[in-house]
Amino acid sequence: MARDVPAVAATGLTKRYGRTTAVDNLTFALNPGEIVALLGPNGAGKTTTFKCILGITGFDGSVEVAGKSVRRHGKDARQLIGYLPQTPAFDSADTAQTSLRFLADLKAVAVAQVETLLKRVNLYDQRLMKVGELSGGMRQRLALAAALLSDPPVLLLDEPTANLDLQNRQQFHDMLRDLRSEGKTVVLSTHFIESISGLPDRFIVLEQGRIILDISATELAARRVDNRFLVNLNGTAPAAFLSALAHIGIRRDHISPDETNIEHALAHELASRQKGGEAQR
Amino acid sequence: MNAVTTIARKEVRDAIAGRWLVLYAAVFATLALGLSYLGQKNLGGLGFENFSRTTASLLNLCLLLSPLIALSLGAGSIAGERDRGHLPYLLSQPISRLDLLLGKFAGLTSAIAIATIAGFGAGGVVIATFASSVDVSTYVTLLCLVLALTAVMTGLGLLASVVSSSRVQALGIAMMVWFVAVLFFDLVLIGAVSQASLGGTGLLVTLLLNPVEIVRVLAIIQLEPDLEVLGPFGSYLLESVGATGATAILSAALAAWAVIPVAAAAWLFARREI
Repeated sequence: MARDVPAVAATGLTKRYGRTTAVDNLTFALNPGEIVALLGPNGAGKTTTFKCILGITGFDGSVEVAGKSVRRHGKDARQLIGYLPQTPAFDSADTAQTSLRFLADLKAVAVAQVETLLKRVNLYDQRLMKVGELSGGMRQRLALAAALLSDPPVLLLDEPTANLDLQNRQQFHDMLRDLRSEGKTVVLSTHFIESISGLPDRFIVLEQGRIILDISATELAARRVDNRFLVNLNGTAPAAFLSALAHIGIRRDHISPDETNIEHALAHELASRQKGGEAQR
Repeated sequence: MNAVTTIARKEVRDAIAGRWLVLYAAVFATLALGLSYLGQKNLGGLGFENFSRTTASLLNLCLLLSPLIALSLGAGSIAGERDRGHLPYLLSQPISRLDLLLGKFAGLTSAIAIATIAGFGAGGVVIATFASSVDVSTYVTLLCLVLALTAVMTGLGLLASVVSSSRVQALGIAMMVWFVAVLFFDLVLIGAVSQASLGGTGLLVTLLLNPVEIVRVLAIIQLEPDLEVLGPFGSYLLESVGATGATAILSAALAAWAVIPVAAAAWLFARREI
């Protein structure tokens, strides 16, 4: 995929169900090789946005995947997308291997790719187990393998870590970092930001179908939260750091453990924008 | 392998794994044998009837059973995927909605055809071994007509599946179609015809409205064109255009019945919110 063509570009994307507007005039461009968190509460329009990008529901506006119009070239555009739904949709009576082979045939991918991916997601030993017998984490990894079958440049992952325990979540994050390093664009949808903490390069926050914040992780991390800073000691002993602070007049009682993390920073940013908006009105 | 073939193959594989295919084949074979044996007993003999008599006996049974299985499987296809939440995932693959629909249609029709051929085949082999005379062509003719009716009814089931919001609703519609087409059609329409004094064209149109009736009349024309057995619609057609003309008209109508419901289902499915 050419670096100057957005991996996904939406312009005026709008989806209405009768009188309800699920997605309202979204415009964004996602770059190749970035992990984007699509955040928002339930009903904010995250899954509907995915359905529009996949072209499996009608919409107004335009969506392009690597320059291909989803409306006009739906099959070609979907060949470029790996989709992991909120609940993996496999037949429970099929084995892991059979499920992947069926999807490989649909995507016109060589069967050898199935074995490779089963190994990559650590499911090769379970390949002959029925999907119904796999644990939630295994099923999620199987769904990720399915999403990767055609080696797509774009991955849409809907609440990918919601059902994973801490260990599986960490493994999943490591896999996503590897995919980013391969140049893939990964879009993660979640309403549970702790589950993806430290992973995204960019945050897009939806509320009632509208984008209320689109910010890079770097920009967000650089924002000061009140008068508090998060300091990376980078190996320096805390005592030495405290001593250095005392020299410039910052006493120990001025220092308290800081709970600031990306979630707080994001909440703060949203609150300050809301205040700014109210002040303008 | 293209997407339609892939989906069709999965349908057949699922049918075998789900065991209904084997069960359906066994039921058909058992009934073919049973009908033949009982028919012979009624005539005072012992053993098996010949192919023609068995075929005629099987006709009514096939007209009851094959629409039932085809309609219910067709109805459960798309609506079942929707109920299980699998439809968005299937459509997120690089396939079109038409691919999915045609794949389901081809797969289900093939699966029912395999079961029907296996059932009829097993019955046929046993009867051929013991029967007094062998008339394979009538037996094969009936089999072909049953397969054509299966395709028509699978298409109607798919149409019900596409317009319904749930599998239960789709099955309800399918059962209603079966009840009207198989059980109610003759009674209601004979009454309607006598009340409305329909002319020849009216009778013909009425006949062509029901694919089960089309297959029944076609089968009787091919097997033993008896005016009493043909009923009012078939008798009129046979007298008007002769056996060859009637066969051509009915075959064309059956082909239209095989295409139109699937085309309508495809048109609606392409426009439906999933």
